[in-house]
Amino acid sequence: MNGQKRTFHTVGKSLQKVDGLSLVTGKPMFVNDIDLPGTLHVKILRSPHAHAQILAIDSSKAEALPGVILVLTHENTPTTRYTTAGQGYPEPSPYDSRIFDTKVRFIGDRVAAVAAETEDIALEALKLIEVQYEELPAVLSLDEALSSDAPVIHDEEDSPGIYDAAQNIVADVDIDAGDVTRGFAESEIVVETTCETQYAQHTPIEPHVVLSYLDVDGRLVLRTSTQVPFHVRRIVAYALHIPVHRIHVIKPRIGGGFGTKQEVLLEDLAGFVTLRTGRPALIELTRQEEFISSRTRHPMRVRVKLGAKKDGTLHAIEMEGLSNTGAYGSHGLTVLSNTGSKTLPLYNKAPNVHFFGKAVYTNLPVAGAYRGYGATQGYFPLETAMDELAERLNLDPIELRRRNHIRSGETSPIFEKLGEGREGVAFTIKSCELPRCIEIGAERIDWAKKRGKRIREGSWVHGIGMSIHMQGSGIPQIDMGAATIKMNEDGSFNLLIGATDLGTGSDTILGQIAAEVLGVPLEKVIVTSSDTDITPFDVGAYASSTTYVSGTAVERAAEKVREQIIEVAAAMLETEPEGLMVADERVTAHDGRSVTLTEVCQRAMYMTDQFQIAATASCVPQESPPPFMASFAEVAVDTETGFIKIPKYVVAIDCGTAINPKMAQGQMEGSIANGIGYALTEEMLLSSKGRVRNPTLFDYKILGSLDMPPLEVILVDSYEPTGPMGAKSVAEIGINAPIPTIANAIYDAVGIRLKKTPFTPERILAALHEQRT
Amino acid sequence: MIRTQLKTYHCPDDLKEALTLLQQGGKTARVIGGGIDLALHLPPDVTALIDLSRLPLSSIEASSDGITIGATATMTEVLEHPAIASYLNGVIVTTLLQVASPLLRNLATIGGTLVSTHPWSDVIPLFLALGAEVTLVGEMSERIPLSDLYDSRERLKGKILTVVHLPKPAAGTAAAFRQFSRTGFDVALLNCACFVRVENGRCIETRIIVGGTPRLASSLPKAEESLIGAALTEEAIERTARIAQESSSVGDDRRASAGYRRELVYVGVKRSLSEIKDQLEEAKR
Amino acid sequence: MKITLTVNEIRHEIEIDPGETLLDLLRRTGYKSVKKGCGSGDCGACAVLLDGRAVNSCLVFAAKADGSTIITAEGLEKDGDLHPIQEAFLEEGAVQCGYCTPGMEIATLDLLTHNPNPSEEEIKEGLSGNLCRCTGYVKQIEAVKAAAKKMNKGAS
Repeated sequence: MNGQKRTFHTVGKSLQKVDGLSLVTGKPMFVNDIDLPGTLHVKILRSPHAHAQILAIDSSKAEALPGVILVLTHENTPTTRYTTAGQGYPEPSPYDSRIFDTKVRFIGDRVAAVAAETEDIALEALKLIEVQYEELPAVLSLDEALSSDAPVIHDEEDSPGIYDAAQNIVADVDIDAGDVTRGFAESEIVVETTCETQYAQHTPIEPHVVLSYLDVDGRLVLRTSTQVPFHVRRIVAYALHIPVHRIHVIKPRIGGGFGTKQEVLLEDLAGFVTLRTGRPALIELTRQEEFISSRTRHPMRVRVKLGAKKDGTLHAIEMEGLSNTGAYGSHGLTVLSNTGSKTLPLYNKAPNVHFFGKAVYTNLPVAGAYRGYGATQGYFPLETAMDELAERLNLDPIELRRRNHIRSGETSPIFEKLGEGREGVAFTIKSCELPRCIEIGAERIDWAKKRGKRIREGSWVHGIGMSIHMQGSGIPQIDMGAATIKMNEDGSFNLLIGATDLGTGSDTILGQIAAEVLGVPLEKVIVTSSDTDITPFDVGAYASSTTYVSGTAVERAAEKVREQIIEVAAAMLETEPEGLMVADERVTAHDGRSVTLTEVCQRAMYMTDQFQIAATASCVPQESPPPFMASFAEVAVDTETGFIKIPKYVVAIDCGTAINPKMAQGQMEGSIANGIGYALTEEMLLSSKGRVRNPTLFDYKILGSLDMPPLEVILVDSYEPTGPMGAKSVAEIGINAPIPTIANAIYDAVGIRLKKTPFTPERILAALHEQRT
Repeated sequence: MIRTQLKTYHCPDDLKEALTLLQQGGKTARVIGGGIDLALHLPPDVTALIDLSRLPLSSIEASSDGITIGATATMTEVLEHPAIASYLNGVIVTTLLQVASPLLRNLATIGGTLVSTHPWSDVIPLFLALGAEVTLVGEMSERIPLSDLYDSRERLKGKILTVVHLPKPAAGTAAAFRQFSRTGFDVALLNCACFVRVENGRCIETRIIVGGTPRLASSLPKAEESLIGAALTEEAIERTARIAQESSSVGDDRRASAGYRRELVYVGVKRSLSEIKDQLEEAKR
Repeated sequence: MKITLTVNEIRHEIEIDPGETLLDLLRRTGYKSVKKGCGSGDCGACAVLLDGRAVNSCLVFAAKADGSTIITAEGLEKDGDLHPIQEAFLEEGAVQCGYCTPGMEIATLDLLTHNPNPSEEEIKEGLSGNLCRCTGYVKQIEAVKAAAKKMNKGAS
């Protein structure tokens, strides 16, 4: 890896996406865009109770309905427990799920399934399944889960990996550095704040969908909308008791994921139907099922305590996280860990740090991976507390951050102490343009002029707020991505990568990295991704890993291929390999003589000393260089109604080299939009019985085109020496900013501190009224 | 998904045929314009739909009496018609632009919208405030105030709404609409429509309608009366808005609480009346 | 019952169920660009041009479309040339996962056909019925502006 910055010819250019043409012309590229004859439609019967024992199921009437081929319940499916969490093996999530269980644990939990000739017949058949339930008392909140006499949700004997099932505790984390008790005692100012974040949903526009079928060799093919094809293969093999090599997972184009598709939600069931019937099986969640029965954000209550010296240097930080992981524990431990691991290192000046917390079961919708992955919930109290501290110290909030944030060359004890479900890995920051991010952002938002001014405009009052953030680039020593490159005789290359493009454009940027090394235009790199038979392994799209981890694998594979090309060219040019340059689709010697890549491959494929020019390379990252971001917003509050508008939002981000700047920007824009929704408008509402009251896009409000504020995303010039072409990963970080930035801006405008999201107009008005009394 | 309960989809050639089909079908037949509401939720006993959209019922015409809008005119067609654009300073246009989305407005008809009785409807309070009347055709044809339509569910039984009538505005009239919603593409947490006619500096006719309370739009007679005979000043507006706030009937639902809605009644009425005041002053110049 | 409709200039005579939606009909007839995102008119991924106006096909009874002319995203290309709207979406980086893209393109076509020089507010209003979770709408709004420029240049 070349650790120095240089000019690139493909990387760093905003090239069009490799799949862009097909997408704008509406080609049939998504899971459900192919029709297989004989496809069975599978519909799922879902629990009406939050917590109940299934005493009996009578599916005879359903089975008798013409057109019904199969009815599945816990009585005729494998009883193996597994985790649905798409994580590396061994997964740090409890194996607490079954295809169908004898107990239901949330309203919407699986009870039975019908496979029928048409969707309508399947739905009709669901109504004919008779289930006898014994309702059990339910745990319907974080606090209820924590009480010592709460009903036990996972009382089964055979679910390994739960920290303390009898207490409904999925995970418990407790790490520290130094001594916070002494640290707070030594601090001259102490500030404490507790914040709560709500149940929210990813709402990818394409719901979860899978089409399973047997190929001509009788192998099970899962054509599925997933972020984790290899984890799907392994987990389905385990759940259905078939060997991994009898399963083929293909991820075609998918319509967004944001974490909800880092889960084996449907593939086990579809696969089982196909194996039992020999026929293709299609399962597609309705939008209502997406809300109720897929995955959600972990609602959390997080407390942050900061101790500082009078000059603003942080001396002690304590963060306590309480996470509601819902009825099943997928991602429970790791999201909780990330709440601390992706936030606390940002302020590494404090020698005393304590992070602890619990993830608990409730009889509520199941939380899983969601962009931000715990950091979103942690930054709310952290960046709010920082502003509160700044006020107490009479310091500008920006100045307080400047005095405390991590810098290039530094490290934090948290990196080593807090990994993903286990110990982390120590490393030093090698690129950090956060100072520049802060400087640019502050200038663009007009911080000096507008902060503290409370400019009035009729009933509107304006304020400015900011927050700073870091994330990560993959999980060190755990994530692995690989790439295979083979050459074709017209000087083009096939790039085979396990890495998963969920619309993020990873096919394109990984293609750009390969093209850069191989000296060809992007069109000469044909990208095939996420096919477990054809492409090498990759953990999949999560933990902001793709650019950094998979990108490095691509770079290495391309370098190996380049070496082989040079060897052949050297023989052709009758010269030594050293000094030969690969660029502009040819190999050139010092003296100017050259051969084209076409000539090289034709020779290697057909003529002399033939061999396939090809290589495979892997990458396991040894560190996780964080992208850094400074977020600024001008907010206006209508003091008569509590409504908020955002006249301007500015984000400055350091992601190292942006492989494709326009795409990086586009990703950030989407991430910020999602974060604004999480801050202001999105909330899953639960009834007193634990039912989702607003499982529709009609009543769960995500941002539309009319709501998006003027947003400027500035990619700050930076270079990460350990990253491919100097790149770090980007865009997950964006979603973490709007909550604290907007909260801080609201305080600047009207002097109220909101500690609970979303900041709805009603809540803001209530807070304003309370302030007046 | 196929709604297998639906057996017949009629496209009648004329109104007479449509009425016959409706009478024959009784509870099992429904009349549709765009069909949005029934596509979203088809009641279990409905087996036949009668699609009116091919009948010549969509024309929009201005005359000395005001404007007539055919029931099957889509919201977009209403929005884009020049007579509508100039009606009372474009209040219908500004309101309709806040309704649903362009995709839905291209499909939804004015007739369907008025009979849908969605409590959050923006169109119903506005048209009530404008003093709209509607023609219902059954055994006979009758022209009634729009508000009569919502008196009981039976009012429309066996009949078809064919025309919406907007009166010609007298001199010194203005109207305004306000709605509060969570996002741009959303239904109202609360909305209100106000209409005022001023003569010799005094209000002689007022309509103050509030909707999404979360109940269907209804007028606030105490607030309306408080303006009669008064000049439309800031003080009068403030007083009226407070009376509106106190006399309105609001409730909780998952979108907003009663208390918050009560605040919005005050703000909505105040702002609409202020806008009316500005418009009337502008007209005088 | 049997209906006829013209989709992307191709005439179809199809047996339909009275309770079927236009979305289901189009997809089973092979027009896969028309996407189902919600089935309730809230997301716009199913938008098609019906007799010149963009509508949520999930809310249109298929029987209503008898005798109608429909355009889907597949029909925007002409003789292998991209429609200016498609070009603009590509060039501006307005496509991420692409699932909402066909519906966005149809809404854009409706907007620019009836309002060739929309302001930014009018563009936002024009796209307001199409939800996207990937992009934050920023580049899509730029794409509509660019498409308008291209289309006006072509027209003059």
